[in-house]
Amino acid sequence: MRRLLIIVSVVCAAADCWGQSFDIRVPATIVAGDAATIATTGNGKATFYLVGPGVSRKKDVKLGEEIQVHPEDLRNAGAYLSIVCSDVCKRATFYVSAATPASLTFLVHPSRVPVSQGDAVSGVAFPFDPFRNLVLNPVAIDFQLTERGTSALSFSKAVRTENGVAWFRTSSGKSAGALQVGATLDGVSARRVVQQVASDPCNLRIEGQRTPLGMLVRTNPIHDCTGNPVPDGTVVTFTATEANGKSTLDVPIKQGVARAQIAASGGAVISVASGVVMGNEIRVGTRP
Amino acid sequence: MKFALPVTLVVVTVGLMVVALIGVDHAHGTVGIAAGSAMYGLTPKPITPKQALNNLLTEAQRRNWDRAFAAVSNLNSDDKASFVQDWTGSNGSLRSFSNLESFETRSMHITADEAQMRVNLHWTTPVGQIEDVRDFLLKRQGDIWKAVWPKTEVANVPAQVVPVTYLRWDLVSGGAEDEWGSKNVDAPHVRITSMNAADFAAGAVVMGEVVNEDTIPAFVNVNATLVDGAGNALDDESSFDKIAHVLLPKQVMPFRIDFPGFHLTKVKNVRMDVKATLVPASADPVIGVMNQKIDADVQGKSVLTGELLNQSGQTVNVPHVLASFYDNNGKVIWVADGYVERALLPLTAAQFAVEIPKTLRAHVHDFHVVVNQYSVGRN
Amino acid sequence: MSTIAGGPVRRYRPVSGLMILVLLVAFPFRSNAADSTVRVQLDATKIGPRAVEGLTEPAVTRDYRNAWSSLAQALEVNSLDSIRGAFTGDSQRVLTATITSQQKSGLHQRYLDQTHKLVAVFYAPEGDVIELHDTAEYQQEVLDGGKVIQNERVTIHYVVLMTPSADGWVVRYLQAVPQF
Repeated sequence: MRRLLIIVSVVCAAADCWGQSFDIRVPATIVAGDAATIATTGNGKATFYLVGPGVSRKKDVKLGEEIQVHPEDLRNAGAYLSIVCSDVCKRATFYVSAATPASLTFLVHPSRVPVSQGDAVSGVAFPFDPFRNLVLNPVAIDFQLTERGTSALSFSKAVRTENGVAWFRTSSGKSAGALQVGATLDGVSARRVVQQVASDPCNLRIEGQRTPLGMLVRTNPIHDCTGNPVPDGTVVTFTATEANGKSTLDVPIKQGVARAQIAASGGAVISVASGVVMGNEIRVGTRP
Repeated sequence: MKFALPVTLVVVTVGLMVVALIGVDHAHGTVGIAAGSAMYGLTPKPITPKQALNNLLTEAQRRNWDRAFAAVSNLNSDDKASFVQDWTGSNGSLRSFSNLESFETRSMHITADEAQMRVNLHWTTPVGQIEDVRDFLLKRQGDIWKAVWPKTEVANVPAQVVPVTYLRWDLVSGGAEDEWGSKNVDAPHVRITSMNAADFAAGAVVMGEVVNEDTIPAFVNVNATLVDGAGNALDDESSFDKIAHVLLPKQVMPFRIDFPGFHLTKVKNVRMDVKATLVPASADPVIGVMNQKIDADVQGKSVLTGELLNQSGQTVNVPHVLASFYDNNGKVIWVADGYVERALLPLTAAQFAVEIPKTLRAHVHDFHVVVNQYSVGRN
Repeated sequence: MSTIAGGPVRRYRPVSGLMILVLLVAFPFRSNAADSTVRVQLDATKIGPRAVEGLTEPAVTRDYRNAWSSLAQALEVNSLDSIRGAFTGDSQRVLTATITSQQKSGLHQRYLDQTHKLVAVFYAPEGDVIELHDTAEYQQEVLDGGKVIQNERVTIHYVVLMTPSADGWVVRYLQAVPQF
């Protein structure tokens, strides 16, 4: 009998047969930034712990009374563990979800894009609430693209978020210049600018003029195939091939044109290239 | 008695200083000075052309300019400054930061009164060892020989104002508090347009060309990883200085990556990685590469020679030449580079030469030269 | 007690097998050696709009594993050092607040024997952000000083955003959700 009593005592100590009997009840979900109340039953003193994203609290409470959790402690969305310890510890988990969207994180690529390229511009938007929690409930985000110099939208699309994200992809416009890219959600918006730049030079042509120092060679105004001027600073390579050797000059475009003074004393063939695009050749003082 | 120790110390110190001042190093590899035939720190009497040249080079190595100048026959006192500058460099050139480490002399032709000698000069520079081969003419004067110093022709550029109107790009990084997604400036788009891996004497070599396809300058590094048949990386290396890192828009640049000690027999694949970052840059200076041709140098080696012409108003302190060589299919079969030891003054030209390996000379059909430059005080 | 040459010999009353069993049930054996294992599996078959590159998948897996190792270490020792390289943006902000709060309250946590099953659900067209759903299982211990107040094996669902950094992938956002 004595042995049986010992056994039962040990088992009951583990199973809390004779400890303080109490319980805690937590709300099912809470919206970020709201206060919360955790109900307890039982009586006596206990210690309350709250562990969650951005918070770790400990305070003395009385069982049977409600425990108030301040809004500042529930700003971050995620899982919160509330623990009440008296003689034993009891726990309960509740979740905080995001509030209504208050900002958009908007990623747009690229920052520079050649004109008239298919599927060249893409954007990804994430809605966040005022406390920087990702809003996972589906919401509709409007994407708009407007080219410089026009008021008409060159692209407009409403996309519903899935797993907290919405995205789009579209072609670049025909004209070089700033492309305004916007994302809007219920009065919340974000704007980005994509610089549309000329594509590779097209119809690269040079003409030359004899000077006392040799040959002054210049290109025609350099455009891409859609007529957009190739930006200043783009390197154009002039090559002069003579009987006794070759001369090259890497010259940046200035005011739409590249110029070079080449010291070709005798017959020479002068050619031009920019990147991987070749232009015409001109022959100086040689038979065609 | 109490002054004995301090006096001894002073005497020993002075003695050591005297020894240091009159002679520090023996010239390494110097031919013609027999051991014990000269007092340490003093050069022997130049009674032979070889001795005269050795004296000149030894004194130049030691930077004893008075003695070195005295070993030269054709210069007057007005030329001394330019003679010294010829050795020590000027205008922040590569030579200014170099030391003559050693030299070897060889007789080419000797008569009773004249001699032609060839010298291999080995310079230690911040960019590694540079070898310079020069021919010297020596003439007998009485019972001694002296070198005839080739006068350096200084370009006579008239004073003028050269406007800088080429484009310049600056980089604004943005504030530390910029939110995610608002710092939207993509890295420049660069692309490797050709790549060729080959075995060479000292190891494997990966070379090719890269183009900046973007409209802004790019700072480019090209890396390569050699991968074996099992997909394991054997080695990875970077292009280091076998590339000019700043590429202007649409500029095509050769690169070469060396893998010393590796051979392609174990290599199944080469993984290329080109990294480009934003960088402030200037389109100035424009440097023309004139009169490029493949020739043989005085040692019979195949070299691509030419002239660099600085068309800007700014001194280029250290010009660096990169050349890609193509076969008749347009494939890059070699990339060579070389530094010009003299600074490139405004509106002046300087010679360059880069060596082509003997085994490749017959396959070279065309070439393309690009000039990189390092200038003090510029981005 | 009987005495044998060389000294007394003690005799022990045998403890019943039932008593041993009850003791083991009531007070389960607990090893003090912390199990810092972090296992991560990634399923990228359902990802879009961009396909994951061959080298990206192992890099994401490796860096996510490192992030959770760092997180566990940070929460156990209440130090910010280990999270700096693995977390950025909002996740770093929240973790920093958690650890600072733990330092003040005297609490710390252990995340032991972790298993993370990741499903990649979104990969941006330019490859600059990846969204993962993590079904994480681990032994969670909460300690007040040296006293364990919570010890339970939990399964938590996380929504994760990772972005590329100079030398790998970092966790930019980490949020527990009731379900996906």
